[in-house]
Amino acid sequence: MSELARLSMDSAGDIRLARVAGEVDASNVVELSEQLLAGVPNSARALVLDLSNTSYIDSSGVNLIFDAAARLRNRRQELRLVVVPHSFVAEVLSAVSIGDAVSVDAAMADALKAVGVSD
Amino acid sequence: MARDSSIEQRPESEAASQVEAAEASADAAIARLEDLQRVTDAALAYLNLEELMAVLLERVVEILNVDTSAVLLLEDEGRTLAARAARGLEEEVERGFRVPVGHGFAGRIAATRQPVVIPDIENSPVQVVNPLFREKGVRSLLGVPLIAAGRLIGVLHVGSLTLREFRDSDTELLQLVGDRVALEIERSRLQIQDRIAQTLQHSLLPRTLPRLPGLRMAARYLPAARESAVGGDWYDVIELGHRRIGLSIGDVAGHGMAAATFMGELRSAARAYALDGVGPGELLQKLARFAEEEQSRMATMIYGVLNLDTWMLRFARAGHPYPLLLRADGTTTFLTATSGPPLGTMATPSHNEQEVTLEAGQSLLFYTDGLIERRGQRLSEGEAALERALVESPEDPDDRCSAVIRRLTADWEVADDVAVLLVQAVGLEERLSANLPARADELAGIRYLLRRWVAANGGTDDDCAAFAIAATEACANAIEHAYGPTEAEIEVNAGLEGDIAVVTIRDEGRWREPRGGNRGRGIPVMREFMDELEIDRTEDGTLVELRRRIGSGPR
Repeated sequence: MSELARLSMDSAGDIRLARVAGEVDASNVVELSEQLLAGVPNSARALVLDLSNTSYIDSSGVNLIFDAAARLRNRRQELRLVVVPHSFVAEVLSAVSIGDAVSVDAAMADALKAVGVSD
Repeated sequence: MARDSSIEQRPESEAASQVEAAEASADAAIARLEDLQRVTDAALAYLNLEELMAVLLERVVEILNVDTSAVLLLEDEGRTLAARAARGLEEEVERGFRVPVGHGFAGRIAATRQPVVIPDIENSPVQVVNPLFREKGVRSLLGVPLIAAGRLIGVLHVGSLTLREFRDSDTELLQLVGDRVALEIERSRLQIQDRIAQTLQHSLLPRTLPRLPGLRMAARYLPAARESAVGGDWYDVIELGHRRIGLSIGDVAGHGMAAATFMGELRSAARAYALDGVGPGELLQKLARFAEEEQSRMATMIYGVLNLDTWMLRFARAGHPYPLLLRADGTTTFLTATSGPPLGTMATPSHNEQEVTLEAGQSLLFYTDGLIERRGQRLSEGEAALERALVESPEDPDDRCSAVIRRLTADWEVADDVAVLLVQAVGLEERLSANLPARADELAGIRYLLRRWVAANGGTDDDCAAFAIAATEACANAIEHAYGPTEAEIEVNAGLEGDIAVVTIRDEGRWREPRGGNRGRGIPVMREFMDELEIDRTEDGTLVELRRRIGSGPR
C-alpha cells in the first residue's frame, strides 16, 4: 500500500478491530478494502473500523465503508465505525449520511461496549 | 602523368622556355587543384571514417602515381601511431602495426612534424622498422604529417616499388593532400563523436522529467565544445513511488568513451539502489564501494530524495559542488552542510545528509563543475558568477537553466561538459496553475498543493481541508472518466476574488453520471465543503468550479 495510509488489525474475542491511520483516497482505497475484508474471517461477529487516526477521507473511502457494511451484512456480521466528533472525517461522513447505514461511535470503548465486549 | 612530362620539358629557346614554363606551371597548378578537389568532394561526407580513408588513399595513389599508401593515426594520448588504412600494404592494418612516436619512418615524421623522404630503404639514414616494406618490396618512401587545426593527428605516407626520387613538388603535393585528408578525418571523427555523444546522452539521460503539481523541473546537458565531446556528466530523476523522487547529478573525471561508460555504470547502479529504497548517505557509500571495486575513475555526485508532499529534500554529497538555493526574495545560499569524499577515492567513506524544505517560489540548482570552473579563475569567483546568473535568470525553469548556462559560458569556450538540474517550487501568490496526469496516485499531490495555496493566501485549517477534499473529488471524477490511448491531463487553476477562493478543475473527458448505489457521493461531499459548486459539462470536457470564502472573517 502507498504510504498514504496504514492498516493495522487486531482482535478482541470474536470482534475484529481495524485501525486506519493516514489518508484514504482513490489511489489506495481498493487495496485497503481488500486487506480489510480479507482480515475479517467468517467466525468474526463484528468489525470495528477505527477512523480516529484517519486524517483524510473522501467519497472513495465513503464508498468503501458503504460497500463493506453491505458485504458484512450479507455475512450476518456487523460493522461499526469509530469517528472523532467534529473532526474532518466526521464532517465528510455526515455529508453522506453514513449514520443511515452504519453505526458510528465517538470512541473505541463505546464501540466495544455496543458489540458486547467489555474491557 | 601528363603534368610530369610537361614540367620536365627542356625547350631550346629561352623566351619560348619561359612562356612554356609559365604555361606548364599554370597547367600543373590547375591539375593540382583538380587533384585536391578529388580529395575533398562532397560525396565523401557520407562515408564513415574507414570508408573515407580507403577512398582517400586510393586517390592519393592515383594522384602521386605510387604503389602504396597508408594512414597511421595517433593513439595512446599521442604516444603511438597505429596503422588505420592502407593501400598496397593492407597487411599493415590487418596486423595492427603500431610504432612509437619517434621510432622508424612514420614515428620520425610524427615526432618532427616534418615530411621525410627515403629515396632507398636499403640505404637509408632513417631506420625503417616496419618489416612489411621489405616483404612487399617497397624501395622509396615519402611521408608527411597529418595536421588538423594545428594539432598532429597522424601520418600519411606513400611508397614506390621501384626506386623513385620524390621531388619537392611531390612532397608539397602530398602535404596538400595530407592537409585535406587530415581535415576530412577530423571532420569525420567529430561527426562520429557527436553521434556517440548524442546517442549516449539520449540513452543515459532522462528523456522527460516528471510533471509534478506544484514542483517544476528542468535540466540541461551541454557537451564540451572541443576535443572529445563525450563527457562524464549526468543527471537523473528517478520515480521512487510513495510520492518520492530521487535526484542525482554527477561528474566522472575525464573525457572520452571510458569516462562516459563509467558514468553510465554509476548512474545505473545509483538507480538500482535508489529504487530499492536506499537513502542518500548510504547510496553514496555503496557507490563508493562500487567505484573502488571497479578501480575506475574518480567521480563526484549528489543524490537526494525529494518528498513530493512536504517538498523536503534529503541529500548527500560526494565531493560534488554545493547545490545553490534561490529564494523568492532573490537571496541565494549554497547548501554546504554535507561532506564526503568523491567516489573512487576511499573504499568506506561516510557521507552525511542534509535536509532542506523548499518553500513556495524557491529554486534549487544542481550543477557540475564545468559550469563554474574556468582556467585562471578562483572557484569563489565562479560561484559568485553562478549566484548572480541564477538571481537574474527568468522565472520559467527551462528558461532559467538556459539563461544560467548562457551567462556562465558566454565569454569562454566550455572546456568541460556541463549538466544542470533545477527543481523549483511554484509561487503561491494569488494565482496557481498546475497540470497533472489523470492518475489516482496524483490526487494526494494536488490535495497538498491546494492546502499550501489556501494557507499561503490566508485560509484557515478548515478552508485548507475544504479545498483539499473538494478538489480531490473533482479530480477523482476526472480520473475515473479519463480513458483513451494517451494519458489524459487535468488542469487545476486557483485564484482569489476578494476573500473568495476560486478553484477550477478542467478535464477533457465526459462527466460520467453516477452509476450504482455507491456512486454519486462526490457531489454531496463537494457541496458540503464549498459555498458554491458549479459543474459545466460540454462536448470538450468538464469544468468544475469551486468557491468558498476563506480566512477568519465572518462566513
